[in-house]
Amino acid sequence: MTLWEFVGDRWSRLAIEAYQHASVVIQCTLIAAVIGILIGVAVYRSPLGSIVATALASTVLTIPSFALLGLLIPVLGLGVAPTVTVLVLYALLPIVRNTIVGLGGVDAAVTDAARGIGMNRVAVLTRVELRLAWPAILAGMRVSTQMLMGIAAIAAYAKGPGLGTEIFSGLNRAGAANATNQALAGTIGVIVLALVVDGLYLIIARLTTSRGIRG
Amino acid sequence: MSTDTDTGAVLNVESGSRRAELVRLFLQPAAAVVLVGGVLIWAFSTELDALEVVTLNATTLLRTTWEHVLITAAVTVLVVVVAIPLGVVLTRRWARRIAPIFVGIATIGQAAPAIGVIVLWFLLTQQEGLWAAAIPLTFVSLLPVLRNTMVGIQQVDPALVDAGRGIGMSSFTVLRRVELPLAVPLILAGLRTSLVLAVGTATLALFVNGGGLGFIIDTGYKIARTPVLLTGATLAVGLALIVDWLGALAERYLGPKGLR
Amino acid sequence: MAEPSVAIELDEVTKRYPGQREPAVDGFTMSINPGEITIFVGPSGCGKTTTMRMINRLIEPTSGRITIGGEDTLSLNPDELRRRIGYAIQQAGLFPHQTVAQNVGVVPGLLGWSKAKIAERVDEMLSLVGLDPGEFAGRYPRQLSGGQQQRVGVARALAADPPVLLMDEPFGAVDPITRGNLQDELMRLQAELHKTIVFVTHDFDEAVKLGDRIAVLGDRSTILQYDTPEAILANPADDTVAGFVGAGASLKQLTLMRVRDIEMAQAVTATEDESPATVRQRIEAEGRRYALILDKRRRPLRWVHFRQLTGSSMAGIGRPVGDQVSVQSTLQDALEAMLTEGGDAVVTGNRGEYVGTVQLDTVVTRIRELREEHAS
Repeated sequence: MTLWEFVGDRWSRLAIEAYQHASVVIQCTLIAAVIGILIGVAVYRSPLGSIVATALASTVLTIPSFALLGLLIPVLGLGVAPTVTVLVLYALLPIVRNTIVGLGGVDAAVTDAARGIGMNRVAVLTRVELRLAWPAILAGMRVSTQMLMGIAAIAAYAKGPGLGTEIFSGLNRAGAANATNQALAGTIGVIVLALVVDGLYLIIARLTTSRGIRG
Repeated sequence: MSTDTDTGAVLNVESGSRRAELVRLFLQPAAAVVLVGGVLIWAFSTELDALEVVTLNATTLLRTTWEHVLITAAVTVLVVVVAIPLGVVLTRRWARRIAPIFVGIATIGQAAPAIGVIVLWFLLTQQEGLWAAAIPLTFVSLLPVLRNTMVGIQQVDPALVDAGRGIGMSSFTVLRRVELPLAVPLILAGLRTSLVLAVGTATLALFVNGGGLGFIIDTGYKIARTPVLLTGATLAVGLALIVDWLGALAERYLGPKGLR
Repeated sequence: MAEPSVAIELDEVTKRYPGQREPAVDGFTMSINPGEITIFVGPSGCGKTTTMRMINRLIEPTSGRITIGGEDTLSLNPDELRRRIGYAIQQAGLFPHQTVAQNVGVVPGLLGWSKAKIAERVDEMLSLVGLDPGEFAGRYPRQLSGGQQQRVGVARALAADPPVLLMDEPFGAVDPITRGNLQDELMRLQAELHKTIVFVTHDFDEAVKLGDRIAVLGDRSTILQYDTPEAILANPADDTVAGFVGAGASLKQLTLMRVRDIEMAQAVTATEDESPATVRQRIEAEGRRYALILDKRRRPLRWVHFRQLTGSSMAGIGRPVGDQVSVQSTLQDALEAMLTEGGDAVVTGNRGEYVGTVQLDTVVTRIRELREEHAS
């Protein structure tokens, strides 16, 4: 059976897995974005806080995802819980970093002017600083999503949802019919998803970035 | 996909703020030692059952750690040998047109799930062992060094290249004595990222019988023994922290002196 | 030590870029005198840099011939050609990852000199450009000020003792005071080394100060005028050149001429031990009103008016001489002294001794003569 025939044959299952893969990655990115922006907002005014958060984030980023998954299995068991935890943890790091960098990079004269025309702290943050830092934050989210696409495939090892299932299944059935097709479908599926979502990011960036600061 | 914006975002995350880097330079090896030491002491001080003893012994742990280091080293060497010359070639004027093709392939390599690439390589070649893991992992870890080599050379002030040519250096001499040395800091930054990718994905080598610390994690999972699972995972984390730290040291001390 | 100075000939040199209708440089023909500083000056984008870069083949001419010392540059390997031509550019272009010594030693290294010879040469070159080798050799470019970097850039260009030096706005990126110092330094070096220097700038004042000859270039590197600074200032070839020379051409002329080049007048002089009556007699005999009092070593002290010479002693009378000029001073300095002193400028020699005075009339006459000379 060729890859095309295989994909046609298993289309409904592959489609569900692809949907689950994309869905878990995007949802985890969104959860991480909320948490990450909150952390970034909490620490960006304190130099020490920024350093600690950045250092911690970069350090955790070096941890092998398979090892982190292994660490979480005894605590969280199998399935969705460890998958979501791992994905959110990894997604946090680029977002926290870019939020701190983005907020720190806002011109002091601009925030000063905002205070000067009578905005309070919250208004300055939500109406000025976060708007200006948004491209950086979005870039962080984009990096996170890219990373999660691959990590989510590994999460199938702990019975997580998504296209990784096909890859591991192909490995376990090595030698059997369609084993290679399964692994190929899973791998290419992840690549295609990654590229499509990356394209979506470009469109979102275009639509959500104020025209005044668009490069 | 646009690689330019990609680069900006990734570099941003990779380089980190300088002071945070300094903090990591001191705390990261300490954290690795404390973490690994703590878990090892805990694992060996508990009563191990017969199944656990098979994996949790000094010989097996040392062997898998050594295998892990070997895979990481093999991937690193392959990345350096492939990505730096390729990056150099792709920045030559006559190669400008084909550069996007290679960068595109490497970008797909980065977007591809490491586990999928390893499994596919195994299914297609039927090879097992260290190289069966190292070759596909090289493909996955290639992009940071390739991209940073290219960016590093492209960002060299054209006036310096002009000065080099103007005082009589051949284009090869300019490359060797001006462009490459000035690109070294970025290449080292890319290498550090590649190193981290390599040491991380090396945990997946077990799936093609390449050994490494993934083997301990997998064993602990299969025999459902938490001490084994935690020991494997912690050793992998510790090793990754150390490797990243070595990368940080290289970034700090191997760059040209005049640029520091 | 230096090779003999060489001439550069450019013959119908043209540069066309593909896809552009107009050539960037169109049939450029010029003889560049050996051992002189020739300045290419013109508005940005006129092709002056392109023309200069064709001399060391950083840009290959589309057609035409360039010879250096009679040798056709196209017959040589470009890299070897460039090792024999010094090259200094704006912001120095020092390699940031190499020390000052390594930067200066690059070309000798390319030429295969021994380490010892290179080290010796580096010290020599650094001293030549006024940098202490002990202090600066081990530094990196970013540890230097802009002016120091530029000096190192010149030292690097001169390190292999090339007979020809190309300089592309080398002082364009430094502050005006440093620029002035670097220009003086270059003139001092050139008096010693007699290189054939092609110097590109868009600053006409710099051109006037440094140039033995100036080529004023227009679009596509057409030569609008190629002459000595004096001649261009006295008689610009057309309105474009006149516009480029700018206002105050006559004032710029003054910077080119030195006090020793014009005829000096002599004032009535006196010493402090003479009696006022004798001095007064002398002044009246000469039909003047003032006398210059000198000290024992003939250094000028004060001007006295003949009406002040009524007492019994010369001590303490008269108005002290303020601004004075030397024979090496420019006429601009002399004019400045005349304006502050409100009369003739006192000229002194090497040891500060009085040698004469400069009068406003002499200066005015000299300028007029120059104009007439170049008008013909």
